[in-house]
Amino acid sequence: MRGKVARKTIFAFIGPAVIGLAAVGIAPLVYALWTSLHFYNLTKLKRVEFIGLENYWTVLTDEVFWQAMGRTFFLLGTALPLQIAFGLGIALVLHQPGLTLLKTLARLSLVLPMATTYAVVGLLGQVMFNQKFGVVNQLLGGADINWIGDPTNAFAMIIFWDVWQWTPFVALVLLAGLTMVPGEVEEAARLETKSKWTVLRYVQLPFLLPGLVAVLILRTADTLKLFDMVFTLTRGGPGSSTEFISLMIQRVGFRGFDQGLASAQAIILLIITIVLAQIYIRVFYKEVN
Amino acid sequence: MAVVSPATGELAAAGAPARRKAAPLWGQFAILIVIMLICVFPFYWMVTTSLKTQIVALEAPPVWIFEPTLANYREALFEDGVLRTLVNSLIIAVCTTALALVLGVPAAFALARFEFRGKRDLWFWFITNRMVSPIVLALPFFLIARNLGLLDKHITLILIYLTFNLPIVIWIVTDQFRGIPYDLDEAARLEGASQFTIMRRICLPLAMPGVAVSAIFSFIFSWNELMFGLILTRTEAKTAPAMAVSFMEGYNLPYGKIMATSTLIVIPVLIFALIASKQLVRGLTMGAVK
Amino acid sequence: MKNLRNLYCSTAVASLVATGAVAGSHGWSLKDAAAPYAGTTIDVVFLLRPGYEAIEAMLPAFEEETGINVNIIKHPYENALGEQVRDFVAGGDLDIALIDLVWIGNFAENDWILPLAEVQEKFPDIVDPNLDIDDFFPLVLNAFGGWNDTIYGLPFDNYSGLMFYNRCMLEEAGFDGPPATWGELKDVYGPALTGDGKYAFALQSKRNETQSADSFARVLWPFGGSFLNDEFRSNLMSEESQAGLKFRQDLMQYMPDGIVAYDHAETVNAFAQGDVAMITEWSAFYSTVVSPETSTVADCVEIAPEPMGPAGRKPALGGFSLAVASQADEAEQAAAYLFIQWATSKENAREYLERGGVPARQSVYMEDGLEDFKFVPALVESWQDGVPEFRPRFAEWPEITEIVQEWGTKMMLGEVTTEEGAQEIGTRMEEVLEAAGYYSGDKPLAQ
Repeated sequence: MRGKVARKTIFAFIGPAVIGLAAVGIAPLVYALWTSLHFYNLTKLKRVEFIGLENYWTVLTDEVFWQAMGRTFFLLGTALPLQIAFGLGIALVLHQPGLTLLKTLARLSLVLPMATTYAVVGLLGQVMFNQKFGVVNQLLGGADINWIGDPTNAFAMIIFWDVWQWTPFVALVLLAGLTMVPGEVEEAARLETKSKWTVLRYVQLPFLLPGLVAVLILRTADTLKLFDMVFTLTRGGPGSSTEFISLMIQRVGFRGFDQGLASAQAIILLIITIVLAQIYIRVFYKEVN
Repeated sequence: MAVVSPATGELAAAGAPARRKAAPLWGQFAILIVIMLICVFPFYWMVTTSLKTQIVALEAPPVWIFEPTLANYREALFEDGVLRTLVNSLIIAVCTTALALVLGVPAAFALARFEFRGKRDLWFWFITNRMVSPIVLALPFFLIARNLGLLDKHITLILIYLTFNLPIVIWIVTDQFRGIPYDLDEAARLEGASQFTIMRRICLPLAMPGVAVSAIFSFIFSWNELMFGLILTRTEAKTAPAMAVSFMEGYNLPYGKIMATSTLIVIPVLIFALIASKQLVRGLTMGAVK
Repeated sequence: MKNLRNLYCSTAVASLVATGAVAGSHGWSLKDAAAPYAGTTIDVVFLLRPGYEAIEAMLPAFEEETGINVNIIKHPYENALGEQVRDFVAGGDLDIALIDLVWIGNFAENDWILPLAEVQEKFPDIVDPNLDIDDFFPLVLNAFGGWNDTIYGLPFDNYSGLMFYNRCMLEEAGFDGPPATWGELKDVYGPALTGDGKYAFALQSKRNETQSADSFARVLWPFGGSFLNDEFRSNLMSEESQAGLKFRQDLMQYMPDGIVAYDHAETVNAFAQGDVAMITEWSAFYSTVVSPETSTVADCVEIAPEPMGPAGRKPALGGFSLAVASQADEAEQAAAYLFIQWATSKENAREYLERGGVPARQSVYMEDGLEDFKFVPALVESWQDGVPEFRPRFAEWPEITEIVQEWGTKMMLGEVTTEEGAQEIGTRMEEVLEAAGYYSGDKPLAQ
């Protein structure tokens, strides 16, 4: 007899969280919505006026906006598969028996990238990938690659750091999923087939799926919000080659002071993120259930 | 109970699942070493750079053996006020995590156990809060905080960080609670226990891994947060990441000092994460529990 | 300009007379003037640059003398504008505005700062009879502190673009002096000094204010180009402007790779490590390149004014003034004025200079014993010729600089040609100016 609980109890349990989050989260969002419907520039407050959906129209027809979105999705499309592939590989290795001490050490070192401040990652990147005194060029056999100043290389650098920082997270989530597979089932499967791939696909995957969906949602949302690391590493440059959507919004809102436009951009971004999250849930969670 | 696996003829150890033919040990060994190197090397580089003087740091190609100096740390900690920012970050991260747990755990329990209309949508609303770009919330927060006289105060950040901590707590802990068999609840109910008691005495202890994990993530994300820290603090409540980027004036780049500040900033959260890492693996099931 | 000077003279005389009448035979003293305001705290934003550190070091003397507390909030340059804008919009604490010359139109139009004369009229007793406002370089006073024929602030942190060159590298390549013109720099010095990992020149071009101020504007004016023509329409498609922009493209072959990612720090560093023979940078970097702790070429550094172009010598102009914020209350306004007056005074100029700042007082540069400051002659010369609208200083600049930064860097990366880029900038710039009402006559054509 699940769940028949007095309404009062429900409120008591969930009320505080809702109120807390609503107080902190809704007011600013409403404000953002309001500014997005106005011409609202901090340095031109004498000329605030209601312009309806004009900001949204400007954003949706702005080539630069879509370029930034394209860049962001391209980043997502390259970094996320890499994170999942590497993460799965690492999880599978860690799941194997043997070498326990080394595995514990490996798990400990996996925690380090995840916990690092993103801004620090960017600063570290500046030091390590510097063309002249950076250690990366040295390790590549004295190469003279211009990382930060070349549009393509800078982008590659961002992918590198994103993968470095978040693969451990994916690995740990997938590892947790793997440990949930009942031992007997796994054992029985391995008895029936020598193919590791089959075991993976039919036995382990169902347990990995919820974790994968969570990873998909979280990483998508975070990549669309990606700011700190890129900001400290390249500031969005050279030119616009690493200007992802969050950097663009920051530029419009904080350097150009056009809050109305920036709010419109952010709300469109939020809508896209929510839609994606819904798609992930509907497509993947269905398989699980 | 020893089991002889027909396929391989190996004798498995008592009580352990049948040993499958493990991947060659040296293969695993190599991969593990590589993983560890890749994860740890950047930190090694960060720390060694922080011990270099500016001239040494700028040598090309970079030097691996040199005479270390603690000058950067001394300057950062005592002259530039990094110590205070570390304290601020600590206060804020701990308080906001505690608050997120106090608010989030009961909410997670309700979402896992109770039935009511709009439950799924409510859950989704909680999660979407984490998806909002902080850049667009920064100005409204600034204006509101200004009007309430709450600029440059710890409490402001503690409350604002709820926007991404509470969703994490709710997401992870809801899943944990869902995985706990309902029979235990039932039994307690029959004995007349209130929902609150059930949560506290029965489910919470079993859900500890999830709670611990969400606390860890909440702490880590709060510590590392940059945007709100930059906009909403000045000197009193300035957070560590905000301090780190203030060296990037663009006028001169004291790499040694920047790395020293960076090291100081990540060390606390790294230590914390390491201590709590065991929980991380156990608690990151994210709904895999059936 | 003449009107300005007359306005100023009369105000100065008037205040002199007023204070003379009140002070009688005592003469003015900071301590006495500040007495009614002791205990006031004033807030100001400072940058992390040498001039500000100089004032900080001198601050205890001021605070002791006046009893006024100065609360300094430090920010990197790129946050300074945002911080102040948000503070003024939200009615915050700042009592003094730190104004980059390109922000002054903005601040003035939004009524965030008070004209100097207004403050002086309100509080006649705090005006120092020795203020001698004519002692400031007129170009600097007008460009940094003046807008629309009104003086708001006094020049505080002052720069001119100068050429820093490595005498040793030049001598090795057979030159006995720096290039006199941009053409010479590119055609003669460029090839001779580039090679083997060394470069002749580096022009800081990162996609922020650096691109607009240091990179883009620098190649416009000496070639006779400009951002806007007399009707405030884009002048970037003119022959002269295009000549300048094409010159920059051509010059890039003698600059390090990835120059588009170089901000001041990287450029000065490259010079200080001996990788680049010449840079045209702000005067404030002098201390960095001659200090053995940060520079390996300290002994080889020489300074010269920026090279000339076909249209003459038009060095980069930049700097900050301090003005009284209108949101400050009465006591704070007076206290703020006293601080600004003190920090930029004739009496303090020498100490300010010696501690690493660059004052804008003509008198200090006529004193003896300044040989150690190699940049002085070049600086003084540069401040005779500069262009106040090196970058337009109107309120629309923040929007326009973003446009210039984006397309200026695209040009340098070769993603668009100089014509295409100039066209884009021109169109967008005019859209901004149109929306602001310059073409319909709503706004005077001031820059």
